[in-house]
Amino acid sequence: MKGVLLLCALLLAPRGSGSDPEAAWPTHMACRNGDLQVFYQSCDPLQDFGFSIDQCSKQVKPNLNIRFGIILREDISHLFLDVTLLSKGVTILNYSYPICEEDLPKFSFCGRRKGEQIYYAGPINNSEFDIPQGKYEILLELYNEHRSIVACANATVLCS
Amino acid sequence: MAPDVGCFLLALLIPAICKLISSSDQVCIEKEVNKTYNCDNLGLSRIPDTLSNKTEILEFSFNFLPAIQNTTFNRLPNLTFLDITRCQINWIHEDAFQSQIQLRTLVLTGNPLVFIAETAFNGPVSLKHLFLIQTGITSLEFIPGHNLKNLESLYLGSNHISSIKLPENFPTKNLKVLDFENNAIHFLHKEDMKPLKQASNLSLNFNCNDIKSVEPEAFTSMTFQRVNFGGTVDLSGIFNGLRKSTIQSLWLGSYEDTDDAELNSTTFQGLCEMSVKSINLQKHHFHDPTAATFQCFTQLLELDLTATHLHQLPSAIKGMQSLKKLVLSVNKFEDLCHISAASFPSLTHLYIKGNTKKLQLGVECLKTLGNLEHLDLSHNDLEAADCCQVQFRGLLHLENLNLSYNEPLQLQSQAFKDCPKLRFLDLAFTHLKLREQQSPFQKLYHLQVLNLSHCLLDTRNQNLLVELPDLRHLNLQGNLFYDGTIPQTNLLQTLSRLESLVLASCGLHSIDPQAFRSLGDLSVVDLSYNNLTHDSLEALGHLKGIYLNLATNVIRTIPYHLITILSQQTTINLSHNPLDCTCSNNAFLTWYQANLQKLEGSEETVCATPPSLRGVKLSAVKLHCGLTVMGICFLVVLLGLFVILLIFAIKFLLRWKYQHI
Repeated sequence: MKGVLLLCALLLAPRGSGSDPEAAWPTHMACRNGDLQVFYQSCDPLQDFGFSIDQCSKQVKPNLNIRFGIILREDISHLFLDVTLLSKGVTILNYSYPICEEDLPKFSFCGRRKGEQIYYAGPINNSEFDIPQGKYEILLELYNEHRSIVACANATVLCS
Repeated sequence: MAPDVGCFLLALLIPAICKLISSSDQVCIEKEVNKTYNCDNLGLSRIPDTLSNKTEILEFSFNFLPAIQNTTFNRLPNLTFLDITRCQINWIHEDAFQSQIQLRTLVLTGNPLVFIAETAFNGPVSLKHLFLIQTGITSLEFIPGHNLKNLESLYLGSNHISSIKLPENFPTKNLKVLDFENNAIHFLHKEDMKPLKQASNLSLNFNCNDIKSVEPEAFTSMTFQRVNFGGTVDLSGIFNGLRKSTIQSLWLGSYEDTDDAELNSTTFQGLCEMSVKSINLQKHHFHDPTAATFQCFTQLLELDLTATHLHQLPSAIKGMQSLKKLVLSVNKFEDLCHISAASFPSLTHLYIKGNTKKLQLGVECLKTLGNLEHLDLSHNDLEAADCCQVQFRGLLHLENLNLSYNEPLQLQSQAFKDCPKLRFLDLAFTHLKLREQQSPFQKLYHLQVLNLSHCLLDTRNQNLLVELPDLRHLNLQGNLFYDGTIPQTNLLQTLSRLESLVLASCGLHSIDPQAFRSLGDLSVVDLSYNNLTHDSLEALGHLKGIYLNLATNVIRTIPYHLITILSQQTTINLSHNPLDCTCSNNAFLTWYQANLQKLEGSEETVCATPPSLRGVKLSAVKLHCGLTVMGICFLVVLLGLFVILLIFAIKFLLRWKYQHI
C-alpha cells in the first residue's frame, strides 16, 4: 500500500531537476490570438496551476482580466510577485510588487490559508502598453513573507 | 480520484517498481528532537514509525488519509498541534482523536469531509482552535459541537454556509474568533446573533460574503473585538444594522476585484449611534469629502483611509479632536499641507506612505501635531533641499520618523532640531546629500536607532554621527568607504554606547586594528558581503560575546593568534568564504569543529581549497597533519646518517689537526 502511494506521489508530484524531461509540468497556453501567443509552465516542483488571460492582444489594455486557479501551499496574508523579463537571454526588466500586505490587502483572496483552493477571475490593475515584436521569456514568482514559494511560472511570449 | 485509480492499476502491474521505490523511503523532518516533525507533501497514508511517541507538534499536510479512526493517531498521545490540511479526508469516525487529550489545535483545511462522527472530538477536552476551512460544509449542524466547550477559535472560511445560526447546544462562552470568510451569507438576522450573546470580546469575520442586509438592531447591545465586512458595497446598510453595538475595530474595506462604494455623509449616518474605536475603509471612493462627511466620526480613535482616492481632506472637520491614529497611505496628495492636520490635534500616529503622486513636504504642515509620536512618510518620492527643520517644525514629541525610500534629501546641519525626542530614524534607500563635514543628526540626545543603509553617504565625514550619546543601533549597509578601508580615525568613534553595527555590503577590504577601539558595548557586528580577509579580525580583539557575521567575504585562513578573537564571541557566521582546508589552516579547522555550536550557517561554510575538498562542509573535513610513520622512519634514518657523518668529520678533522702539529 505504501509503495502504491509513494508511486502515486511520485507520479503526481514530480520533484526532480529540470534535466529530467518527465519531471517537468506540461506547458499550457495562457492565450493565443493572431499575432500574440503566451505559454507558461509551472516551475514549482510540487504542483501545477491554471492561468489564462481574457484579452490577447499586442496592445495590452489597462486592467486586464485574468483567470487563475491554484491550491495554496502557504498562507497568503503577505504575498509578493517578482517578475523578470528576458529577451534573447538578456534581462530587460526586473520588478517586485506587493499583492497582499497586512496594511493593504489589495485583492479579496488576501489572507486565505494553506490548503485552500483559489479561483480568481478578475482584473489585475495593469497599465496600458504595447508589446514590441519578438520573443520574450518571463519568470514569475509568487511568494510569502517567509520567501516560501506560492506559485512559480516560466512563461514565453511570442509576438509577431 | 481518476489519477489514483490509474496509480493503483499501474502499481498492480509493476509491483517490482513499487518495492524499489518504497525502499527509498521518504522521511519526515525532525524540527525539534522528539517533539516537532514536518511530514508535509510525502504522500503518506499512515503515521511513520520513525516518529517519536512523544511528538507534540505534527505538520502532516498534503498526505493521504481518506478515513481517520481511533487507531490513526493513537500512537501519539502527546499531540498538542495537528495539521492535516488537504489529506483527502472524507471520514472522521467515532473517537478519532480519543487519545489526544492535550490537543489544542486541529487543522482540517481543504479536506472533502463527508461526515464527522458525533464523538469525533470526544478526546481532546482542551481543543481551542479548530480549522474547518474549505471542507464543503453547508450547515453548522455538520460540526459536532457539544464537546467543544473550550473552543476559542472556529475557522469556517470558503464553505457553502448561508446562515450563521449556530446549533442550540453549541458552546460559545469561550469563543473569541468566529471566521465565516468567503461563504454565502447574504442576510444577518437578529435571531442568528442570539447564540453569540454569551461570548465576550468576539471577533467576527464576514469578509467576502456579499452581505445584502443586516436586520436593524441585530447587533444591539452586543460587544465585539473586531468585525470584518470586507468587500461589502452597501456600507450604510451595515452601519444601520450595527446601531447600538460596541465594536473595537470595524473593517469595511474594499478590494481591486470587488465593487467599491462612493462614500458621503449619508453613508455614515448609522455610525452616530454606535461605538467604534477603529475603522478601516480602504479602497472605497471618497468623492469630494466635506466636513459633513466626517460628522459621525467623533468617537473614533483610529481611522484607516488607505487608497481612498483622496486629493485632500477638508479643513473644517470638527469633532475629530480625539483621533489618535490616521492612515492616509496610497492616496493622491500633492502637498503634505493638504491633509489639514489641524483637524486632528490629538494624533499620535500618522502614516502617509506610498502616495501615488510626488508629495511635497511643504512648510510647517504638521506644526499643530504636538502630540505626534510616530510619522511614516516612506515611499513618497519626497524630494527636498534644506531639509528638515521647517518641514517638521512643531513635532516636539516625535519619537519615530520613517523617511525611507524617497528621492534625494539635502539635509541641513541639525536637520531634526525641532524633533528633539527622536528615538528611531529610518532613512534607508533615501539618497542623503550633505555639505562637507556637516552633522545633520547632531544633538539628537535620545536617538537609539538610526538606519542609514543605502543612503550614498560620504563616510569620510568625521562629523556625520557626532553628539548622538544614546545611539545603540546603527545600520550603514551599502555605503561605500573610501579606499575600501575603515581607518583608525573614523566616523564611528563618537558612538560609545553602540550595541549593534551593520557594515554589510560596504565594499570593505580592510579595517584598521584600532578602528572599533572606542566601541566597547558592541554585541552585534555584521560585516557580511565585503572583501575582508583575516587581517580585519584584529579590530574585534577587544570585543567579547558578540554575534559576528563575516559571511561572504574573502577569508581563506585564520592564523593561530586570531582564533582567540573568534573564541571569545558567542555566534559567528563564516559561510560563503573561500576557506582553505589544507594543513596550513589546521589550527582553525580544529577549532571550528570543536565549536560547531557557536557557528551559524555551517551548511554553507565549505572549503574552497584544495580542489579535492572544494564544496565539502568544514564540519565534515578530516585532515591528518601530524607526521606519518614513514615520515618518522625517514627522519630517524636521516638523523642517524647525519650523526655518523658528523662523527667521521670530527675524527677526520682531529686526525688532520694532530698530523699537522
